[in-house]
Amino acid sequence: MFKQIQNWFDERIGLTKVIEEFNGERIPRRGGWAYTLGSLLAFLFTVQVVTGIFLLFYYVPYFPIARNATYFLKHHVVFGNILLGIHLWGAFTMIFVILIHMARVYFSGAYKKPREMQWIAGMVLFSVVVVLGLTGYMLVGNENSWWTINVLTNVASHTPFIGGFIREIARGGTETSVLTMQHIFAVHVWLLPIVVIMFIPIHLFLIRKTGHQGMALEYKNSKISEDDEKRWLKPDGTVPFFPDQFYKDMIVSLVVFAVIYILAVYVGAPIGPMYRPLALNFAPEADWYFLANEEILKYFPGHGLIIFSTFLIPSIGFGILFLLPFIDRTKERSPFKRPAATVLGILFLLLLVYLTLIGGEPKAPATV
Amino acid sequence: MAKSSEESPSRRTFMMVVIGLISTVIGIALAVPILGAVLNPLFRKRDIVWTKLGKISDLNLKPLTPKFVPVYFRVKEGWSVNTLPRQVVVVKQVNGDLLFFSNQCTHLGCPLHWIAARQKFLCPCHGGMFNATGQVVGGPPPRPLYQWVHKFGKDKDTVYIQNKFKDNPKDRGI
Repeated sequence: MFKQIQNWFDERIGLTKVIEEFNGERIPRRGGWAYTLGSLLAFLFTVQVVTGIFLLFYYVPYFPIARNATYFLKHHVVFGNILLGIHLWGAFTMIFVILIHMARVYFSGAYKKPREMQWIAGMVLFSVVVVLGLTGYMLVGNENSWWTINVLTNVASHTPFIGGFIREIARGGTETSVLTMQHIFAVHVWLLPIVVIMFIPIHLFLIRKTGHQGMALEYKNSKISEDDEKRWLKPDGTVPFFPDQFYKDMIVSLVVFAVIYILAVYVGAPIGPMYRPLALNFAPEADWYFLANEEILKYFPGHGLIIFSTFLIPSIGFGILFLLPFIDRTKERSPFKRPAATVLGILFLLLLVYLTLIGGEPKAPATV
Repeated sequence: MAKSSEESPSRRTFMMVVIGLISTVIGIALAVPILGAVLNPLFRKRDIVWTKLGKISDLNLKPLTPKFVPVYFRVKEGWSVNTLPRQVVVVKQVNGDLLFFSNQCTHLGCPLHWIAARQKFLCPCHGGMFNATGQVVGGPPPRPLYQWVHKFGKDKDTVYIQNKFKDNPKDRGI
């Protein structure tokens, strides 16, 4: 019976061959577990899309009501807390795993020729996912959401020349209003997910097109010299994607999903208080992945320097990351043979962790 | 029968030009209304209203001690009319003049806290500090506190506030 169905499709579109071609891709052998991060991200994104679609059954993007709709979803919908919790912790995990994925690619030099475009596609995905996280935080509709909208649109307003326009367009007017929420909603639910859905296949296609470009340890026994680009085409050993690599991907996905699920059930998604624009004692807080940026905002006082913290440092930092493959054009791959890049990478990560930790310190103005 | 592009290079060029033109026309035709929808806020006039704050004599102001007084602006926003609750920080100066501040930090707009022990407004987000007359005394804020546009009624006691800041060239939202 199954064979007949298979034959029916094969006679018409050659389905088996397509699947075999996709699954049969040879993957370098030694770094199998390190290569599971990409698949894990694809899996996490799918989970976000699926949970997000069903959150929309209850969500209303209207400022004072949005928080109550989220509250209803969490406390009155059957298993709604789990659905919301998976969406929140899945998003956190996704941003965290992207950072690990980027660090892995950076330290193993996998962004080098011929994979420059892949790094750029990946950076597009990274930036979009971070904005998805921020807009998601705004959509909860609680007090933090309100101040996050205000603060971030004000940050955007410090962009030279067009800043004021950006803020006005993002807010749908001079003030944060019902239109602001509607815009954020459209961006979070339609615009950015579509960008992600477009760029994941591009990212994947480019990986397959450029062939094996694994970590340096895949080429230990290679006899071709390190300066020769051909060296990176022939890993010492390879395995088929399915089932060898896929099996590892599934195990990692299961472990991470289990962690997300446990967090969703036992920690859940905190909703926080309703927005009170008149509150006199409220201290807004950013999500953990924005704390490093938040910390930078505290420096650079005065009218002339504010542009450093709101525009120049973030955009130059981002620009360097974006254009990394064009800045570092050496052929060396092994992290031990390019100490400058490795040390810089480690220092950058330490700085990020440090800024996040001090940015996350509780602020207690009453004690100042 | 028309020649295929393989038979005639000029026919190939012609087809490519037509393909390009059609894409451009459709692209522009779609972009116009989409840009209209996105840029619409830039062409809308802001709804400015006067709202009564109350009588100054009821506030029992002491010099340099800020009083937070809520106002409720009924403002048309997009397709709806909404109430915007906002804080007006009334400060009486030593010479008796009144200042009407917004409680928004001028750095990035967080809600200021009045720390009585230090006689300062403190921003809980990035550590901006202002004194009771609205001047920056610490942290990243680029300018003194925003002041609401206000006027006194006929009795010289009732104050009306507009949902607009004085000296606000970038037309910052409130």
